[in-house]
Amino acid sequence: MKKILIAFATFLFISTFVNAEEISLKSYQKGDWSSIVSLANGKPMAVHFWGVTCAPCIKEMPQWSKFLSSDRDAKVVFIQVDDVSPEMIRKMLRQANLGNANNYYVTSGLDERLRYEIDPKWRGETPITIFIDKAGKTETTVGSVNFQSVKAWFKKNN
Amino acid sequence: MAKIFILGILWLGVFGQGWAQMDHSAHMAMMGMGKPSACQSSGLECANAATPFLTPDGKLLLAWTSGGKVSVAQSTDLGKTFNSPVVVAEHGKSLDTGGDARPQIISDMKGNVFLAYAFFKDSSWNAQINIARSEDGGNTFTAPRSLVQDSASQRFPSLVIKSDGNIFIAWIDKRLVAASNKSGQKKLGGSIAYSNSLDGGRTFQAERIANEDSCECCRIGVSLNPKNQPVIIYRAIFPGGVRDHASQIISSNGPEKIRRIANDGWKTDACPHHGPTVAVSSQGTIHAAWFTQGANRSGVFYANSRNEGASYSAPMRLGKIDASTSRPYLLALGKNVWLVWKEFDGHNTVVVIKQSGDDGKSWSKDMIISQTADYSDHPLLIAQGNQVFLSWLTRADGYQLTKIGQIE
Repeated sequence: MKKILIAFATFLFISTFVNAEEISLKSYQKGDWSSIVSLANGKPMAVHFWGVTCAPCIKEMPQWSKFLSSDRDAKVVFIQVDDVSPEMIRKMLRQANLGNANNYYVTSGLDERLRYEIDPKWRGETPITIFIDKAGKTETTVGSVNFQSVKAWFKKNN
Repeated sequence: MAKIFILGILWLGVFGQGWAQMDHSAHMAMMGMGKPSACQSSGLECANAATPFLTPDGKLLLAWTSGGKVSVAQSTDLGKTFNSPVVVAEHGKSLDTGGDARPQIISDMKGNVFLAYAFFKDSSWNAQINIARSEDGGNTFTAPRSLVQDSASQRFPSLVIKSDGNIFIAWIDKRLVAASNKSGQKKLGGSIAYSNSLDGGRTFQAERIANEDSCECCRIGVSLNPKNQPVIIYRAIFPGGVRDHASQIISSNGPEKIRRIANDGWKTDACPHHGPTVAVSSQGTIHAAWFTQGANRSGVFYANSRNEGASYSAPMRLGKIDASTSRPYLLALGKNVWLVWKEFDGHNTVVVIKQSGDDGKSWSKDMIISQTADYSDHPLLIAQGNQVFLSWLTRADGYQLTKIGQIE
């Protein structure tokens, strides 16, 4: 009984711990773009900007999760842009099964000053995905992506 | 033994929660390190959007959203000083503060003030438009209530008050999209809905749909034509998922024909959060400006129609081709038209103005009229009598109401 109890307590402890730890959400502010780009570390990378209040984004997020589970080596960073609480963002990420992805959220407002260093042509439309190849060259997709093309892009640039 | 077991679970529960809270506060502390903290108060200094209204007797009413609250203040010296603001509503993080959201405020001659704004009513991000009234010039407001009774999303209200005091309100309504999704047909976007109030906003007529297919995240532009009819402009969804702009006159019989302003060819399912602007001159010319990333043109553009929208002039680009232009806004007074927009050069945001004295046939050169180095709201234009003002909320330089023109 004691053993079972310990095992059960351990299980509870771990599950509580893991739950609290489950979705890590880092802050993103103006000036942070170069540090995001440096995450690529010589590999191709996609940075996906999305918002919890953006219907096309919410529709697409579970597909990003599917893509990542089939292309495990693909480097994708997710940045949530709406001014909402981290709990609301975590809830959406959990629903999309993207809790373990590399998640950030904008904490200083999605204004032109924040967008300019990412892409001067970006006027705030979401979703938007910036593809950065090994040489640092970028390609931007506004709106939902075609996952066949995303797959091909990672394959070509790897 | 059972007792220890229960205690253990209780302890774990408390510990678990405590840990989660610690994580949160530790995260907050980390965020504060070395970086400026976000502006949190409900004052104008932290507002993301501020909307002005000038009453016939020269009083400025300003409605803004900040710190999760909707506030209204009054100024008798054109925005230099304000009385203490009235908090009309509080929604915390559920308040809609998206890039194209702003509270709407209007007033009649007798000091009846009407306010509308949107917030997110459920965890699926369905929005609700709330309305509130003041019968004492904006000193006190009624408790906000929902504009319509519908479980789907209603967002981005736009208001205009007619000379007879009647109120026109248009908004993005997702009831048709919700119904379509329920029946298994996956659909994106929203619809353009509108209603009128003939009693100063106490009651509204049954809402009507002007266009079933519109973008769901761009505010609607509204202006009155010489017949006192609202002319609306919005990002419609044309066949094939093309999100180009349309204008439409709302007559007493209902919505008239949907008129395409330009074939930009922006096929996208993105949320641009970047709605258009419209102003109708005393001659009935419809002046329109908008942002697009279409296959045929990309940037911010202007066009006009002299036949109630049946055809539009060729789009004219605003700003240089690679300038970061955004947020156009138009105002017409008689045959005079003012057009402003924002440009960002990597350091400063400037407001650029263009003016026409002949109903949009010819235009002055671009001129920078204001600039700021921090966050700024959309530049807005407002008239009172024969005077025209630029209304611009900036984080670093405060709220500014600047006289930019006058007609004889």
